[in-house]
This record gives sequence, structure tokens and C-alpha cells, in this order.
Amino acid sequence: MNRRRDELAPPGLGAGALTDRVSATVLGTRPPRAWWLALGLATLLSLLFLVGVVYVLSVGVGAFGLNIPVAWGFPIINTIWWIGIAHAGTLISAVLWLTRQDWRASISRSAEAMAMFAIVLAGSYPLLHLGRPQFAYFLLPYPNLMDLWPQWRSPLVWDFFAIASYLLFTASFLFLSLLPDLASLRDRARHRAVQRFYGVLALGWRNSARHWHRYQQAHRVLAVIAVPIVVSVTGTISLDLAVSIVPGFHFTIFPPYFVAGALYSGFATVAIIAIVLRALFGFRDLITRAHLNRLGIMMLCFVLVVDYAYLQEVFTAFYTGEDFYRSVYYDRWTGPYAPFYWGMILCNVVLAQGLWFRRLRESVPGLLCLAVIAEIGMWLERFQIVITSTHKDYMPSAWDTVTPSAWDWLTYAGSIGVFVVLLLLFIKLMPAISMHDMREMLHRRKQREADHG
Amino acid sequence: MSSIIAREHGTDMAALRRKLAGRSGRHYWRSLEELADSDDFQRLLEEEFPRLAPLWEGRVSRRGLLGLMAASLALGGLTGCKPQPEERIAPYTRRPEDLLPGRARWYASTLPLDGYARGVLVKTFQGRPVKVEGNPEHPASLGATDSIAQAEILGLYDPDRSQTIRYQGTAGSDAAFLEQLQAQRRHWAAGERRLCLLTGPLTSPSQHALIERLKRLYPSTRWYRHEPLANGAAHQGTRQLFGEPREARYRLDRARVILDLDADMLGSGPAKLVHARHAMGRRRPDREDALLNRLYSVESTPSITGASSDHRLPLAAAEVPALAAALAARLGVPGMADQAENSPVDPAWLDALADDLRRAGAEAVVIPGDTQPAALHALAHAINHHLGAAGTSVEYSAPVAPAADGDLADLSRAMGEDRVDALLMLNVNPVYNAPAGLAFEERLARVPFSVHCGQYRDETGRAALWHLPAAHPLESWDDARAFDGTVSLMQPTIVPLFGGYTAQQVLAAFAGRYRADPRELVREHWRQALPGADFERHWHSALQRGWIDGTALPTSLPTLRNTPPPPPPTDRDGLLLQWRADPALHDGHYANNGWLQELPRPLTQLTWDGAALISPALAEREGLSEGQRVRLTLAGRSLDTPVWIQPGQPARAITLFLGQGRRDAGRVGNGVGVNAYRLMPDHGAFAAGGVTLEVLGDRAALASTQQHHNMAGRDLLRETDLAHFQEEPGFAQPDRVEEPISLYPEWDYPDHAWGMSIDLNSCIGCNACITACQAENNIPIVGPEEVRRGREMHWIRVDRYYAGPLDDPSMHFQPVPCMHCEKAPCEYVCPVEATQHSSEGLNEMIYNRCVGTRYCSQNCPYKVRRFNWYHYTEATAELATPAAAHNPDVTVRSRGVMEKCTYCVQRINQAETDARNEDRPLEDGELRTACQQVCPSEAIEFGDLNDRHSAVSRAKASPLNYAMLEELNTRPRTTYLAGVRNPNPAIQALETREAPA
Repeated sequence: MNRRRDELAPPGLGAGALTDRVSATVLGTRPPRAWWLALGLATLLSLLFLVGVVYVLSVGVGAFGLNIPVAWGFPIINTIWWIGIAHAGTLISAVLWLTRQDWRASISRSAEAMAMFAIVLAGSYPLLHLGRPQFAYFLLPYPNLMDLWPQWRSPLVWDFFAIASYLLFTASFLFLSLLPDLASLRDRARHRAVQRFYGVLALGWRNSARHWHRYQQAHRVLAVIAVPIVVSVTGTISLDLAVSIVPGFHFTIFPPYFVAGALYSGFATVAIIAIVLRALFGFRDLITRAHLNRLGIMMLCFVLVVDYAYLQEVFTAFYTGEDFYRSVYYDRWTGPYAPFYWGMILCNVVLAQGLWFRRLRESVPGLLCLAVIAEIGMWLERFQIVITSTHKDYMPSAWDTVTPSAWDWLTYAGSIGVFVVLLLLFIKLMPAISMHDMREMLHRRKQREADHG
Repeated sequence: MSSIIAREHGTDMAALRRKLAGRSGRHYWRSLEELADSDDFQRLLEEEFPRLAPLWEGRVSRRGLLGLMAASLALGGLTGCKPQPEERIAPYTRRPEDLLPGRARWYASTLPLDGYARGVLVKTFQGRPVKVEGNPEHPASLGATDSIAQAEILGLYDPDRSQTIRYQGTAGSDAAFLEQLQAQRRHWAAGERRLCLLTGPLTSPSQHALIERLKRLYPSTRWYRHEPLANGAAHQGTRQLFGEPREARYRLDRARVILDLDADMLGSGPAKLVHARHAMGRRRPDREDALLNRLYSVESTPSITGASSDHRLPLAAAEVPALAAALAARLGVPGMADQAENSPVDPAWLDALADDLRRAGAEAVVIPGDTQPAALHALAHAINHHLGAAGTSVEYSAPVAPAADGDLADLSRAMGEDRVDALLMLNVNPVYNAPAGLAFEERLARVPFSVHCGQYRDETGRAALWHLPAAHPLESWDDARAFDGTVSLMQPTIVPLFGGYTAQQVLAAFAGRYRADPRELVREHWRQALPGADFERHWHSALQRGWIDGTALPTSLPTLRNTPPPPPPTDRDGLLLQWRADPALHDGHYANNGWLQELPRPLTQLTWDGAALISPALAEREGLSEGQRVRLTLAGRSLDTPVWIQPGQPARAITLFLGQGRRDAGRVGNGVGVNAYRLMPDHGAFAAGGVTLEVLGDRAALASTQQHHNMAGRDLLRETDLAHFQEEPGFAQPDRVEEPISLYPEWDYPDHAWGMSIDLNSCIGCNACITACQAENNIPIVGPEEVRRGREMHWIRVDRYYAGPLDDPSMHFQPVPCMHCEKAPCEYVCPVEATQHSSEGLNEMIYNRCVGTRYCSQNCPYKVRRFNWYHYTEATAELATPAAAHNPDVTVRSRGVMEKCTYCVQRINQAETDARNEDRPLEDGELRTACQQVCPSEAIEFGDLNDRHSAVSRAKASPLNYAMLEELNTRPRTTYLAGVRNPNPAIQALETREAPA
């Protein structure tokens, strides 16, 4: 037991040394060459996103591969995918904190940042999806002369509120947990400008006991709020599909199924980021194999729920006795989009079983592979849900297929670029590892060691 | 701007002076460039500011862009500098009587097709025609129209129509033309040179009288008639039989057993609308006075007639005469006894058919197709005569179109022998649609004085020495005869937009009457032709009705002079090439009409580029798939075309559609498909053996609006046969729930509750409703690329399903507009309430409110919603409908907005307002949707469900009434009457006997 906990940080690491090391990544040396390289590549990618967005806004959503039976496509798939990724951030920083999981300390910061940026992207896709994005504000309950309100029966309105509140929540949570670290940076900065920068952001944090007390209180409150939010946001998004009468969308299992899927892909993203951070800044001793192992275990938990949902979905489709539901499944298995279905099964059901093996979970390339597979698998899952359900629904005469256009792929790839750019800038400007969380963890370790003699 | 062009190209002042000198009256010109009509000016005009939009596509070079910007600046500056004249204008205080701004006025007129009249009513707003409806009193319309008549509105405003006289390709003037004409006339009158006329299949009495006059003035004049879609076989066949050419008129309202021999009586010919009304009017088994008929079709190309028949037999065109002969032999037609054993089909099938025809006797009718040889016409009429049908279900009159001196082949021969010194080609396009063997284009070059008059500067207009723009039928004074000879009058509903001439004006000019008033030319003819003192009153009432009473040609019972000739011998194997008119583009004249190009062709559901139809058997043998390109070679000429596998196509037959592959149709029609006329034999047969097929490597992307052709075992379209219906009348309502429940409260309709009923017994799948809806509701054209992506915009679609064996399936049609569900799945999912339930039960779209989430479409089980993926209606869009063609009562939708069938809510509101103003209740039948109004077979009923006696309420009370996808509890307001076919039990028994094998 002891031995394993020790693995979370090098033995004998003191609070001061830790703060020195982490703040040095921000204040100290020039960033490693790999960081510049990654930033360059990601910037190029995000320029593609910019081009795609400008083009789509100029000519219309016709640029995407959409048509009449399949009127929802990549923007919806990507919204669900990104919002799913965001979820693990919240879970790690809030739920694992509430349950006093020490191993969350070193990865919680990057997970929170990841959540933040993923939500921004998830929120931008619905705008791209709209036929008339300039009127997106019609979804807001704003006062107007015609007494028009949004239609509360529509899940899209629920969706809007879910994403908006999630964005607000994540931003405040991230900022709150940054406060003590910003103050540390302010205190360690050498240049006046840098001191100003972090000083303003630190909002006058003086490390006083009262500050800590209030911080703890606020943090606890937010963490408690986080729990229902994690469950409800993706749940609400899944209702966009489940509330409709489309076979393939209309399943009551969708909310929990989507939450599990979201967390699966989210933990996979945290794992990828953790591996990159280790490599980039040499945090191999702070983000250890034990961390990777635990992330892998989390992924395994959720992928099993997802696999169960796959099974349940098929069972439901056939148990209803309705031809429409069954034929959606026959089509998913054998139709034009069957490679997507079987690709999803390969990733999320077959290859994901690698997570059972501790060796693989602890191996850097092993976990990296499994995490990338999880991302691909979850994207394929959303693709097959969104695209294959309406392309062959009730009226055979209206059946048709869509082919994603270059603009679909461009904005998708580009959004990954934007995400990476934001994340790279963040880890250069802000401490990538939460210093105060780590210090607390080290302190608790020391206490425990003292207790046990 | 002027400086740029003048510097680059110089302006030929001498040419300008010449041009101005040739003009009379006040001709306005804006600049020297316009006057010179240089290409640069044309381009600048076309590419003014809005045309900068295609910059996205990068089509404009930097140099071009700078030039354009400079030009635009200069132009902007110039317009600002123009001194404004001091003029007084008067406000519109005293309007003409009965003219209310915003209220439509209707005029009776006529639209010709192949020369035959179809009576129409033209709806105009402030002198602008916007919609065509059938004239209910006209014998060839009965209130209905086809897609082509509907699309004439778009054709009228087509910016690609010819706008100037052209001489050798450059702009000319009418003065210069008349000068040359004057010189020519002297030669003609002196008999030194010969004038020849080439017209389409015209029936117009006034045009014919002018042609006669020309022939009197210049005795050597010859008049040739070019009918691209017929070859005179009908008249030839009747001449063989009766000794004189007769025109058959089928009285399908009197017929109980109808045999269609490759005639496609519901989809082609001048009487198709009447046939549809009469034949389908007797297919309503749920009515108490039901007198059901039985339709047999033998057809070489699957058509809507075959699809609507009780028995359909696919048979290659060349074998149809043999089948008719074998049938005649069974019926005991004299002279046919030796043909009985020569049947190309199962003799038992033929026996059953013969029995049925014999039983029906005078109530039977056999209809031969115009693309079939004369021998078949002779045989068919001999059978009719023998059955006693002549005089009851088929009547005979003199030919409606007057006889000409020859056809295109004769003219071409004369041109080749240099016997044609001057040629007037009036509304024909032989350079495009002459068979290649006639070498028309080469020979035309040898004619010293050739004049083409047409609505477009088409292939012929470019090859001729002179081209004159012709007026559109909606701009013309003219007349034409309907299929029964009734003279129908055409009155213009707008002044010629591009200064076109009517046919009478051109003919009169050739006769020496220059610049005659087109109205007077028609009136003068009828002043002489109509006896009686009170011409003015007679004329006025005829114009009001649209046709002249009592001008139908008299019918008589012809006496049989000869026995029909034996059918021409045919080999029964080898590939056979067949030609058919394109169901939308007709002979190719309508190729530049986007509504027709984008109209899904019945059965194939193909839009834009066409394909050769091949049978599944042939596809299997040659390993062909849809869209694969093949090379068809016939008599040394070849044509590369994609193929379309058509279930029900006779195994050895390949069908090519005429009307595609235009070179100079205009921006819409150029280069769409291939020109099948090139392969046609010179003598005008519509089928030819000895064709070879070579598979090419590449494929063409065809734009079909329906990808799946069977119903996947679902009961969307319900149909049975008569025996089953009589046994179980409620077969279409197996699990009807009387009072369905819902979580949401019921709606309350104090006034009206609109509903629609579509009778699958009557629908013939002609797709006229699609074009009518497009014209009424300002539905944009999206182009082939967008159709391929599945983004066509039609608010009503006609689904077509096949059932049964691939080689000979049964075919079914189902029109699908919005269902206007009572519990609409689209309504509750829209986040902004842009689609709502109205107080009269309509499911309405509020375009202003729509943000384009497309959730409504995702949740619509019928998939009837359409989305504006791009700005299709933008003025600079490639296929934008000209603004003038828009219905002012309907919003033009912009990018990013969902739209769908509204039950023609503008018509509902208009009718309600009218009723309210007149303080009376709205009457049933007063209000009709566009699709209902156009339908030739009256398959659609629309009205108030609150009124128990309305036609739609009665239809919904029928045991055949069912709702599509009823189990979803959407409670559609559009419901269907299930189909009931009336097959011959003897043939049914044959089929069931064959089935196990």
C-alpha cells in the first residue's frame, strides 16, 4: 500500500523543491524545442480551422456533407465528442477531489485546462451547424417586443443551457484552483511585467489562512456542484437524440450511456496529455506510471459501461419487435457505413480490452495507443449514431447517404489544432501541475509517514 | 468604362452609324459600346457588381478584377453625373377598373405542344404572368396541365432567350433584314428562286392560311413539316386501312377494357390529360357508382401508363406489331388468320387478353403508339373496328394538322440537290434534332438565304444566315387546334419581353406585309373564317373562354377498305435501340428550363443528365452497373452514354431519350446529357436493330432523387386487387385506432381544419404536381451537383416503388407532400418555435424565426422538409429563378432556412379573405392547392375536415383511407386512399402458376 502511494511522487520531494521545479517551467528556461515544434504544427492546423470556419460562414452549411435524410453531421458529432472529452477534466478535479484521491493532484490542472478548451470547441460547433448562425441568440430567453421565448420542449434549448452553464462552471473552477499558484508565480517572477501579469491574475492572494479557508470552502461548493453537472451535460446532449422519434436515436439508455462514453474518451485525453507533459517538461517523477495505471483503470471502468450499452441497445432494438429499429441495426452492420460500426466495435470493444493488463496501462506507448484508440473509437461511435440513424429511417424512398466533405474534415482536424495550441500556450503560461495540490499531497504523505512512525 | 474598352478594341464608328441608320422609331442606347453590342460590353453588363461574388471561386484574374473595379467606379461615377430631366409624373390615383394591386387577374390562353393546343388560364399580377393553370372548359385540358405547361412561366423569363435579330452571328436590325427580304421576294415572285418553309407540327389555322398565301404569291414555294417525335405512321396506318388518313380520338370514359400498344397514352400525345382524366376516373372501386375499367399495357419502355395498368407486358418495340397481329388473329380480324401462331409472348396471356377484349366488345379499345410503324396502327384500328369499338370508344376525324408538302428528309434531299434558294425555319431546330444521316447542317450552309425564327438562338439559329427572335406563347397572338380540332386562341399576357416576333408576323413579312400588328393578323383570319355578322362579340367571348365553340372536327365512322397488312418481319434477338421523347424536356425545346431539367423523370427519378435505359438482364450479361458509360454504335455512328438499369425494360431493348445533349440551348441546358437524335435512322423510325454495345471504363455521376426502389417490406403504400378488396374492404386499415391518445393536449379548430386525401388509384405518377408546386411556391432550382448530394428542394415528391420480379415488376406511385401531422414530431423539437401548429391545423414554417438547426427534418419520419443549404435564391446564384417569375404571394427563402409544403397557405388565406369580404362561408372546392389543381386524374382532394360533406371528408370516410406510418401517432392530415387494381383473373391464374417455377 505504502509502496504504491510513494510512486505518486519521488520520495523526499519537499514543498519548496516542488514549487521551484514547476514554476521554473513557466518563469524559467526557454521552452523545449519540442514545445515550439508542436506549437508550430498546431498553429498550422488551427489556421485550417479558421479557413474552414470562414468558408462555411461565407457560403453556408452546404459546404458540409449533409443532405435531407442526414441533416446532422460532423458539427453534431464533434460537439458530442468534444463535450465528452471535457467531462473527465471535471470528474478528476471535482469528484476525485471529493473522494480524496491523492493521485489526482499532479494531473488535475491539465485535466481542468483540457476541459475548458474542449468546451469552447464543443460550444463553437453548434454555431457552425446552424443554417443562420447570426440568429443563434433566438435560443436565448431574452426580452423582446414579440414576447417570443425559446421553445422549452426542445432538447436543443436544454442543450444550450447545459453547455453554457458547463462553460461558466469550468471557467470559474479552473480560475479558482489557479489562484494560489498564480500568487506563487507572482512572488517568484523576476521581471516587473511578469509580476504585474500574475499579480493582477492572482487577485491579491496573500496566502493567508483566511484566504485558504475561503478557497477551501469555494472549492468544495464548486466540487459538489460539479457532480450533477458532469452527469447532466452529456445526458442532456444525449437527449437531443433520445427525445426524437428516429430509430437509432430514440433509446432511453442514452443519458448514462453517453456519460460513460464521455468519461471514457475524457480519461483517454487526460492520459495523452499526461504522457505529453511527462515527455515535454521531464515530469516523469511527478506524473508517474502509477498515475498512468490509474487513468487506465478509469478508462476500463467506463469502457465496460459503454460496451454494456452497445449490447443493451441492440437488445432493445430487437426486443421492441419494431422493424424500423431492427433495420437500423442491420444497416449499421451491413450498410454503407458498416466500416464505421465495426471500427467502433474494434476500438471500443476489442482493443479496449487491453486496458485489463497492468503492463499495458503502465507502459507509456501502450497507454498512449490505448488512449488514441479510445478517442477514435468514441468518435466513430458518435459518427455511427448521428449519421446512420436517419440515413435509413422510416421512408425507403427518402433513404440516402452522405459523404463528409473536405470542409468537414478540415474543421475537424483544425479544431484539434486549436485545442492543442490553447493547451500548449496554457502549460507555458500557467503551471501545468497544480503546485498547491501537490504540496498538500506531499504534506499529507509526510503526516502519514510520521503517524506510521 | 467606355474608355477602357474603346482603348482596347476601338469602336467602329462606321458600323455604329450603319446600325443606327437601320433603325426606325425611338431606340435608346446607353453608350457606344452597347450600341456596338460588343462582347466586352455584354460581359461587363453581366458581370457588374453582383458578379463579383464568384471571386470565391477564384474565376476572376487579378487583371480582370482591377479592370472590373475601374469599370465599376467609372460607371458609378457616370450614373451620378447624369443630369436628371425635369419631368412630372402622376400618382396612381385612378386605377383601371377591376385592377387591384396585389390581386391576380386571369386570362384564358393556349399553350401549344407539338402544335396541339392545351387550353390554359394564365394568372397575372400587374401585367406579369406568374402561373399557368388548366382551363377547365377546354376540351384538351379539363382543368389540368402537364409539367411542361407549368414550366412555361420560367421559359418566358429565361434570360437566355434570343433578344436581337442576328445576321451571320452579329447583331442585325429589322430594317436590314427587311431590305434583304425585299430583294429576295422579287426573285421568288419572278419564279427565279425557290422559297422553302420548314415548320414544326403546326395546327394553327391562321398560320396555315398565311402559308397558303405564300404559296399563292410564290408558286414554287414548298412547305415542309418537321416532327421530331412522330413520323406520320398514324395517318399512314389509317390510310392503309380506311383509304384516307384519319385521326383517332379515344373515348376512354366509354371504355371498359383498354389495351395500350406502346402508346403511353397517359404520358404522351396531345390528349394525354383527357386520357388520364377519363381512364383514371373509372378506377375508384370505393365509389358506389364504380364502373371499373381494366388497363393492359404492352410497352417497349416502362412508362407511367404501364405502371398504372392492371397488366403490363414488357416487349421490345419491334415485336409489338407481331403481338397485335397474333391478337387480331385470335379475335378473328379478317386476313390475320395465319398470324395466330406468331405470338412473341405466352399464347395463354394473349388468349386471356383476347377473351377480355371480346367480352367488352364496343367498350374495348386498342391504342397504337405514335412511335410504332404504320402497320401497327392499321392492325390496332382493324381490331377496334372488328370489336365494334369504332364509333363508341374510339372516334375518327380528319387529321387535325394540315398536310405539308414533305418532311425533313424531303427538304434535306432538296437542299442537297441545291433546289432550295431560301429557307424559312419557323420554331424548329433541325440542326439539333435532325438525324445525322440527313447532314442537315452541312446542307443548310448551301442555302443562300436561310432565316431561322425561334425563341432561342439555338443550334439552327447559329447556323442560319438570319436569326429572328420569336415571341413566347405567353407573349403571342396565335391560335392552334386541340387534339379534337377545337380552335384555341392564344392571347398575350405580357408584351414581348425581348421584342420577339410571332409566327404570323414572320410569315406576313415574307408575304410582303412588314411590321404587321400580330393581333390583327390573327383577327383578320378569323374575321374571314367565322361566318356571322356579330364577329366582335363572338371573338370577344372566344377570347374570354380561350377557344372557339363548335370548331371540333366532326367525327365519322370510316369504312374499312382493306385488310390490315401483315406485320413487318422482325428478328427476335439482338439488341434493339429505341427512342423516346424525354418526359420533361420533350423534343429538346425545353432543355434550358431548370424546372424541367430538375424534374425527376417518372420511374427513373433521374434529373439533369439522362441515361440509356437497359434491362436488368442486359446489365447482368454485360456486367453493367448504374451510371457506367457505354458506347452504342448503329450504322457506323456511335454515341457514348451512361446507362440506367430499368426494371421492367424488355430484355433486348435499349431506350435513349431525345431532347438532351443540346449544344446551344442556353446556360442551363448546354451539355446536359447526350444528343440521341444523332443515332436515329434517316427515315424516322423510333426503333432500330443491329446496334452494338461496348462497355467503356468510366462512369458518370447521375442525379437520381430516389436511391431505394423497394419498400423494405413496410406498408407505406397499400394496394390490393379487386377480389381481395371486395372480400375485405377494410384491408388498408388493419389496426386502426379510433381514439389515439397523446401526452399533449388536443387542438381545437373552431373554423376550419384543412386536410388532404391522395388517391393512389388515380395517381398516374406524371409528376405535374411537382412542377406546379415549384411554380406556385417559388421553389429554387439547385442543379445536378446538389441533387446528387440529396438536396433537391421539391416540396412534393412522387415516390415510386417496384414490387415483384426484376424483369417485370409492378410499379407504384405515391405522392408525398407534407403530412401536416396533428401531433407533429417537427413542432416540439424546434428550439425557437419556427415551426408551429396553426389554428386551422396546418403545420406552418416561420421562415423569419428559423435558425436552421434542422432538428425538424431529423425528426420528420416522412422526410418532407427541405433545407436551403446554400443561397439558392440569390440573384447571382447559378440557376436563380428570375425574380419576375416568382409568385408575389409566397416568400422567397434565403440561405439557412428550412421549408416545406404549406398546403398552399397563400391560397387558403386568399380564399378566406375573399369569402369574408363577401360575407359568405367558404365553399368546398373553391380553394384548391397547386398540386390538386394541376392533377390530370384528380388524385388529390383538399378541403375542410370540419365540413362533413366536403369532398376530402368523404374521401377520408372511404374504407380505403389510411395514414402513412400511423403507428407513430403523428396523425397525418394528408392521408391516402389505398390502391385497388382490377386484374384479369385468367391472367392472374397464369402468373400464380408460373410463380413457383
